Amino acid sequence: MVASLLLPLTGANITVKVHPVVLLQICDAYIRRNDKQDRVIGTLLGTATEGVVTVSRCYVVPHTESADQVAVDIVHHKTMHELHQRVAPSQIIVGWFSTTGGGLNSSDALIQEHYSKEVTASYGPVHLRLDTSLQQDKLPCSTFVSRGLALGDKPLGMEFVEVPCDVAYGDVERVGVSLLVSGDPEKGKPTAEQETLATSITRLTALLGKAQAYVEDVVAGRREGDASVGRYLADTLAVVPHLEPAAFERMFNEGVQDDLLLSYFAHLVRSQVSLAERLGTAALPLI
Amino acid sequence: MTTVADLLKRPDVKETVLKTVQLDGQVVLKIMQHCDGAQPSIVTGQLLGLDVGQTMEVTDCFPFPSPEDDGDSSTNYQLDMMRCLREVNVDNNTVGWYQSSVLGQYQTQEMIETFISYHDSIKKCVCIVYDPQRQQRGQLGLRAIRLKDSFIELFKEQKLTGKDLREAGVGWRDVFVEVPIKIHNSSLAQALIADLNPAPGATAGDLERLSLANAGYLSKTMANLIECMDDMLAEQGKVSMYHRNVARQQQQMAAWLQKRNQENIARRAAGEEPLPEEDPVLFKPIPEPSALDQYLVTSQIAGYCDMLGAAAEKGMAKMYLVQAAQKAAQH
Repeated sequence: MVASLLLPLTGANITVKVHPVVLLQICDAYIRRNDKQDRVIGTLLGTATEGVVTVSRCYVVPHTESADQVAVDIVHHKTMHELHQRVAPSQIIVGWFSTTGGGLNSSDALIQEHYSKEVTASYGPVHLRLDTSLQQDKLPCSTFVSRGLALGDKPLGMEFVEVPCDVAYGDVERVGVSLLVSGDPEKGKPTAEQETLATSITRLTALLGKAQAYVEDVVAGRREGDASVGRYLADTLAVVPHLEPAAFERMFNEGVQDDLLLSYFAHLVRSQVSLAERLGTAALPLI
Repeated sequence: MTTVADLLKRPDVKETVLKTVQLDGQVVLKIMQHCDGAQPSIVTGQLLGLDVGQTMEVTDCFPFPSPEDDGDSSTNYQLDMMRCLREVNVDNNTVGWYQSSVLGQYQTQEMIETFISYHDSIKKCVCIVYDPQRQQRGQLGLRAIRLKDSFIELFKEQKLTGKDLREAGVGWRDVFVEVPIKIHNSSLAQALIADLNPAPGATAGDLERLSLANAGYLSKTMANLIECMDDMLAEQGKVSMYHRNVARQQQQMAAWLQKRNQENIARRAAGEEPLPEEDPVLFKPIPEPSALDQYLVTSQIAGYCDMLGAAAEKGMAKMYLVQAAQKAAQH
């Protein structure tokens, strides 16, 4: 009798969103690792809604590894989990990370099994690998979930299935990460205010240029036009208010007058305060 | 009279002046994540790092849980967290704390007291103030603040009356000092960030920056400014009250002295011992009100004026841009 090989098809349709702060923390932890260690592992915290797992925080868990066994500091893991719970009670353990590239080995399966006891989701803990070996030209980050393989009744092992992983930007983080990108590695100064207004405008003009080129291509027949894109562009343009020159002049003048008034007022108060300091009137009684 | 310039020129034998605060990329993101998640309440956290000469390097941070009634549990939290972080080789020195603020309102007495309590253990502690509203408007909302040394000395000796502060040459500008921030990343993190470059589409930050509608922000700042003015008037009221009390006390003393003199004349005429002419118990010297609150209010007013002026000027620049775009569209 031939036993059937059971390959369950569940649990493969989730996506993982990772916040950039998690990846930066993993990099930092990798740099600070002990000399004898090749890699760093730790716990991922986040939230899990249907089909989407969001990883927003992480912490490192010390571990020791040898050829055939792996020991993880459970006390540390539990303490850190409690501490994090006090700050952000809504974040639960969603998985673990490690910084190796290359293939998975048996110790990974053991750690995965350990974490599956803590994660309550049906697809088990999510495993995030950040390849820090720098063998390729980038730092690929991939995520896996595991499922058990069984031959009839006998469990064979564990299979890691890759699931799509995305770097999630909240809008504030987008400002943060673009700040980090634009920071000069030597000087590292955050960009000045005037520059950010100019970069916003350049981005806007670039977008408008792309949209315009697309429309021209479609009109000239060089490209297939997509009706939904065309409708969307038309709707967006319709939002721009068309003002008569006189109405615009009035709006412009009122706006500029308001701003001038506020600016004058702010300067007035400021100079009043400086003057009071020089004259020492703050310490004198009101008559 | 010593001026502030003299105090600064005094040679620091052991300590160097703090010139920049260097933040790690992950610290910036962690602070933003914590403060934004907790809006609109104010949250705090601890900064860890190293003090290297003229730069303060902040390499890690962790958030504090919301203030609980039990003071012990929060110290336990801190100790546990530091111990766990030490096990994974994170820099274990506390170099300061961070807090979120609402519309730039951070100059309070509590901040000064926290600084002083930190100052006992760390000479150069720094506070990072994060303003989520400013970050939403597309600018960097982080500032590094520390107290000026001359002010710290005065505060420790509790010599905060108007006269003492004038003598020491410490004006309201000299309470808080802003230190420039530098952002620094390890090479690995830089490689990661280069990989992570967000798509060049427009972001919400762009939308905020290009938007002409800053009326809400301006009106809120104005409201805060007006509140500060009221506080200022209250402080002035206190000073006037003090002067009035002192004048009244002088009058009372003069009247009492006169009465004593007359009694003494009568006594000398009767051949008895004259009574003493001074009676310290009756007239206690009235304490002068501390000028610290005034300083804080003035410095807060200055901060608001700067913010208002900058926002108004940016608004004008945007209006002129729109006008130019409109003119170009008409031709």
